[in-house]
Amino acid sequence: MDNTFMIGLSRQMALRQAMDVVANNIANANTAGFKVESLLLENTAAPTAEQADGPADLQFVDVWGMGRDFRQGELQRTGRDLDVAIEGDGFFAVDVNGAEQYTRDGRLHLDPTGQLVASDGAPVLDGDTRAPIILDPSAREVRIVDGGTIMQDGIMAGRIGVFDITNLGGLSKQGNGRYIQGNDPDGQNPPDPMLDPVVAQGFVESSNVQAVVEMTDMMTIMRSYASVSKFIEQAEDLNRRAIERLGKA
Amino acid sequence: MRSLMTAATGMQAQQLNVEVISNNLANMNTTGFKRQRAEFQDLLYQNVQQMGMNSSDAGTIVPTGIQVGLGVQTSSIYRITEQGSLANTGNTFDLAINGDGYFRIQMPNGNDAYTRAGSFGISPEGEIVTADGYSVAPGIVIPQGARSVAINEQGQVQALLDGQTDPQTVGQLELATFYNDAGLEAIGNNLFLESAASGSATSGTPGSTGFGSVMQGFVEGSNVNAVTEITSLIQAQRAYEMNARVITASDEMMSATSNLR
Repeated sequence: MDNTFMIGLSRQMALRQAMDVVANNIANANTAGFKVESLLLENTAAPTAEQADGPADLQFVDVWGMGRDFRQGELQRTGRDLDVAIEGDGFFAVDVNGAEQYTRDGRLHLDPTGQLVASDGAPVLDGDTRAPIILDPSAREVRIVDGGTIMQDGIMAGRIGVFDITNLGGLSKQGNGRYIQGNDPDGQNPPDPMLDPVVAQGFVESSNVQAVVEMTDMMTIMRSYASVSKFIEQAEDLNRRAIERLGKA
Repeated sequence: MRSLMTAATGMQAQQLNVEVISNNLANMNTTGFKRQRAEFQDLLYQNVQQMGMNSSDAGTIVPTGIQVGLGVQTSSIYRITEQGSLANTGNTFDLAINGDGYFRIQMPNGNDAYTRAGSFGISPEGEIVTADGYSVAPGIVIPQGARSVAINEQGQVQALLDGQTDPQTVGQLELATFYNDAGLEAIGNNLFLESAASGSATSGTPGSTGFGSVMQGFVEGSNVNAVTEITSLIQAQRAYEMNARVITASDEMMSATSNLR
């Protein structure tokens, strides 16, 4: 009888975690460069909690990983010179205290020294030199042409680096829209810059969260949770009635 | 339930978004106003299972790990400093900047402030001043009895005096630019102060390299685009509603648990 509770519990624990993930997706529905996340579940065969009749290998629900859907988010036109979006694969790299972090969020800014930075002031790295990019503030215009090359009044000021990360599953999220390579925490194998990335100027990549999908997921989770509760309740009811009948005898 | 808190951060973020949008719409007809944009980033991640961790003695590692995000945060409210449209007014002291730069304004307390709202006027002493009566640097005084005042694109101020045929140069306007003008601190009344983020001001003559030109008889409108703002408003409102639904759903899940006998 206890098995019923344990299986129900394992399902409910997984559902709660799935709900947390859906909530995070919805909270980030308007976050530029955000990639939708989902929980991957598996069945874990386990021996019965007690020796009893019935199937010998019970299937518990277990969370085994988290997947990110790296599909392209919609490009939204903003018209701002320093809003850039990557079309297709690749990530921008920023330098955070000497370590590289990767992001799809291309809302860039200039700091007081003319350095091209992300919104928290972390410098964006050049694709050729892997160094911060310095712009000339007195130039009249900033044009970002194909391949991420920055032109100012006809003079090349740098090339926004777009890096090719081969193992997307190994990316670990740091918050602030940034990832590190989780399987390479010391930065021993940094990704290579892409030779000919497609960088669109004046666009921001919006998150690829689809409201309908998330709302449907949310409802499914909620209903499944309630039905598992119901099922635990019934199991308990059965338990009690058995005790009552045995007590009469 | 983490999802309750996560959805709460989502609602807070969207509320801020609506506040920024409403300020943009309120200032749609404000001279020289630059629209703002709230930028969001995802908040911390909680590592339920660290990726790259050993999953067995044989040295196999966890390929993806489990990370659960804790919501959203505001990274900045960014001022978009692109050019507003120029509207012809015909007023002598309506000056618009076409291109980069700010007029430098001498505040009563002696500090410098900067503005792009160039609807200026004349003080009783003949000085060019803002609508609040603050002097526009470098403090140009129009002589009494001037019949007309012409300001050219390079910011040269010329006055034609009564009884004379040749205009007389009475001053030269200057503009200030910044490395990062989005980092200027807004103090209201269309005025901005220099900050650590903007860098220090570089003064120059209008029309020279890196500086915009001065257009007499024009004012710069705001760069708010009503259609974009309304679209963002709809998006923000729907996102707010969705986050509220998450809170309801999480609440129902908790009540399903607490109603177990």
